[in-house]
Amino acid sequence: MMSYDGTDQVIFPAGAATQTSAAEAAQGVWDAVIVGGGMAGSIVAEQLGQAGYRVLILEAGPGKDMDLAEYESYLSRFYGAVVKDNQSPYPFNPNARMPRSTDTMPVDPNTPRDDFYLVQQDKYCTDTTFTRVLGGTSMHWEGKALRMLPEDFDLRTKYNQGLNWPLNYDDLEPYYRKAEAELGVAAEVEDQAYLGMHFPKGYVFPMHRMPLSYLDQTVARGVDGMRVNLADDEYTLQVRSFPQARNGVPNAAYDGGKGFVPVGAVSTSQVEEGERCQGNTNCVPLCPVQAKYHSGKTLAKALRKGNVKIVTQAVASKVEINDHNQRVAGITFKKYESLGSEKYTEYTVEGAVYILCAHAIENARLMLASGMQDMSRSKLIGRNLMDHAYLLTWGLLPEPAGTMRGTTCTGGITDLRGGRFRATQAGFGVDIHNDGWGWATGSPYTDLVELVDRQGLRGRDLRRTLGNQISRQLLLAFMIDLLPDRNNTVTVDERYKDALGNLKPVVSFKIPPYTMKGAAFARKLATDIFEKLGAEDRTTYDQNSYSAVEYEGQWYNIVGGNHLAGTHIMGTDPANSVVDRDQHSWDHDNLYLVGPGSMPSIGTSNISLTMAALAFRSAAHIVKYLRAAKAPAVVRS
Amino acid sequence: MSVSESEPAPDPKIKTIEELYDYLYKGLQLEHATLPPYLTALYSLRPGTNSDARHVIRVVAVEEMLHLTLVANVLNAVGGKPDLTKPGFVPNYPTRLPCGPDYFDVHLRPFSREALDTFLKIEKPPEAATEQDRFVPMDWAALGLTSDGAPPPPEKLAQLEESGTLFGLVPGEPSKRFASIGEFYEEIIRGINHLEDQARQAGKTIFTGDPARQVTPEYFYSGGGDVIEVTGRDSAVAALTLVAEQGEGLYGGIYDSQDELAHYYRFQQLEKGRYYQKGDEPNEPSGPILHVDWDAVYPVKPDIKMVDLSRDPEILAAAAEFNQFYATFLTNINLAYNGQPDLLLKAVWEMFRMRDSMNRLVRNPLTGHAGKNAGPTFEL
Repeated sequence: MMSYDGTDQVIFPAGAATQTSAAEAAQGVWDAVIVGGGMAGSIVAEQLGQAGYRVLILEAGPGKDMDLAEYESYLSRFYGAVVKDNQSPYPFNPNARMPRSTDTMPVDPNTPRDDFYLVQQDKYCTDTTFTRVLGGTSMHWEGKALRMLPEDFDLRTKYNQGLNWPLNYDDLEPYYRKAEAELGVAAEVEDQAYLGMHFPKGYVFPMHRMPLSYLDQTVARGVDGMRVNLADDEYTLQVRSFPQARNGVPNAAYDGGKGFVPVGAVSTSQVEEGERCQGNTNCVPLCPVQAKYHSGKTLAKALRKGNVKIVTQAVASKVEINDHNQRVAGITFKKYESLGSEKYTEYTVEGAVYILCAHAIENARLMLASGMQDMSRSKLIGRNLMDHAYLLTWGLLPEPAGTMRGTTCTGGITDLRGGRFRATQAGFGVDIHNDGWGWATGSPYTDLVELVDRQGLRGRDLRRTLGNQISRQLLLAFMIDLLPDRNNTVTVDERYKDALGNLKPVVSFKIPPYTMKGAAFARKLATDIFEKLGAEDRTTYDQNSYSAVEYEGQWYNIVGGNHLAGTHIMGTDPANSVVDRDQHSWDHDNLYLVGPGSMPSIGTSNISLTMAALAFRSAAHIVKYLRAAKAPAVVRS
Repeated sequence: MSVSESEPAPDPKIKTIEELYDYLYKGLQLEHATLPPYLTALYSLRPGTNSDARHVIRVVAVEEMLHLTLVANVLNAVGGKPDLTKPGFVPNYPTRLPCGPDYFDVHLRPFSREALDTFLKIEKPPEAATEQDRFVPMDWAALGLTSDGAPPPPEKLAQLEESGTLFGLVPGEPSKRFASIGEFYEEIIRGINHLEDQARQAGKTIFTGDPARQVTPEYFYSGGGDVIEVTGRDSAVAALTLVAEQGEGLYGGIYDSQDELAHYYRFQQLEKGRYYQKGDEPNEPSGPILHVDWDAVYPVKPDIKMVDLSRDPEILAAAAEFNQFYATFLTNINLAYNGQPDLLLKAVWEMFRMRDSMNRLVRNPLTGHAGKNAGPTFEL
């Protein structure tokens, strides 16, 4: 086990989640105050902590240490839950609510109701989610860790679509490597060097790729070599393995032959678990052994140094702004007593620099609730909300193909992520789901109900039929690019408040035609692939669902990807963006907004790796900022 | 190791490469022999309870697999061939391990204070103070194996030596035995040094094994501790030292050379109700509190045998299936140690099957054994 400051890398200091009182935190001035203990917040905290700064993290979630007992309580709640959605491991918390996909339905603006956290008033509603517990959305993410394509950074220039980034692939490349080390990415360069993605000579990923599942190989037999014509270009498809932030076989050639030591389960004592994926096929929401990265692995390192502290059950409610110089003067938060009580005490903490890392929707919500749009020159806070649009297609293969084996998703088709067709329609990646039709139909539970209640099967027959049916299920999930659109928004509305009186996020999100053109193409492609595989197409779309979208006379269901981004996009000047390329606020000198909200586009890669790379990059800038602003404090241990 | 290196090394017991193979085979047998007791205790814990105990036992069990692999690597490196499929390789429990002047019995038992006590004994053999203390006279009468204390007749002795139910015997010297397992490994290290010195004088080496037979780190599903690829004397000594010290800690400390909490102290945490943390002294853990629920355990009948299941045909069939599975599992591990290391990756999910199979057995009460449940018999 690799040592970190003389202790195990994965030891979470016992009591760290509760030992700093809110009152203590509110005394004096911290070097940095971070809102949110998820992936971005943990990375920034750890980096600033390493640089010797005194850092305070405010976390809205429950005040429990990240120990194995807590993690296992999440797991056992998940195992016992009837509906196993992304949030099912977590206890209901009225004081820091989170959206649940199962809650999704439009709220009538004339008769407002407070049943759900995410307020939506349109006919189309997104069932997207993010998680508000210590560790943030890394406590439910799947663990795919794709880089963005070089062309994703220049969409406007290349294809006259979307927005350019103020950064390019090469600017971010070194930070991608840092993120791949921190998250522990398993992949091979030979698989990932496509559509212009490049790596420094000799680079290898920390761990070898996860093997393609038998299902992937089955699909590959039909797909590999398949040709697709699109906008005058021909593309050849193949099944490719995805890079994953999940422990595999370490690559001995990593870091010039030093190798890589996988980071296992986090706890307050040495547990030695999760150094390898065991193929539980239960990656989402939680890996049973913590072989999948979650930001507790970074947070544990950060908290152990002693100069990084955390206050939990602390919901940031207002960013205090000095009216004279527009600088942030403090963060006001509500420290609630328990999940079962709405009692709270309000405190304000001060720092030399403030970093909002609460994810796209919460960062925007907090700033809007603090009246910061009035001070914004771009007026873009909460605008350009993005998420990947997912179109699900599913079919029944002629033979058992091992569905339910392997991790949730090991391979897919990535050849249509980029290309000239993006001038007119969205690119997409295709996930081959090793967990069957679950996402689309509720399988295997729905299969069971069908076989028992409708077909009257039991005993051996039931077991055989169920096994045979499920192991033939093929779900292709198309993850479709969705460009920034000012009218996709997060706002706040005085009518909608949570238990602590904080304004809830109101979301208005529509799927643009550019994306739907990609979806329509994806639907046709799925038909072709099913035909090649001899699979029976079982896809149906419900036009009465909240997720129904009509495009050229056809109805589709577009579901959320939980890849929320874009509510405080980065750009080249204060008029076209909320932050600069370093995620530094244009309007408030001592404020950074670090997270996917800064991304001006999301391309066709799951956002976490890029967000992590951006967090590393910004952390380096914040260190420079702090160095200029003040001499580092002496850290007493 | 327990005896200081400054003492003059006496004549090593291992004088030929064949003797070294024999010792290393016994090492394999010994490392494996702890697995069934650990697994039985582990899976006797009621699901959803005793998380702390579960993780502690699980880590030690995984590391016993590591030890098995390390010994196999040494054996392969010196040109031997591991064989986990020989008759008698798996003990007919209870088996006996040496502990200073006494032997102690190792039973297949559900998790309990007695089981924990045995585990502590397994992992921390008493240290020999002097060269003479490394061996103790063999009291055959005390073990009930002969009436007069003299060694059994050669045929019976050979059978006992092969059976895996009596560890620590000094091959060829039935009147004495090693004081502890640590001394047994110390003897192997001395033997390797002796044989390698001899070989080098003749311009040769004993490390003639095919490197492709080594299990390298990428093939071992680590639970803590890393596989050492054995290519020569230094790596062989490092591997065997890790096997010996991972149980009891290094230089009297609570951690081993790979910064893993030693097995003895892992188990002791369950006794003390507290986790160790960095900087702690032996016997004084100061980390987070842990909880053991001694009652949340299936009452598996100790040292259960197939004959105990005769009145429960369905359990009998499940137990037979388990034993068959276990035999296949050992066969696969054996193939992994004989040139197909990638088979170890498959062993990961085979362990899940084993868990499911054991879970099924331990939930079932036995007919005619009031208050006792079934369990795996490990009769192959």
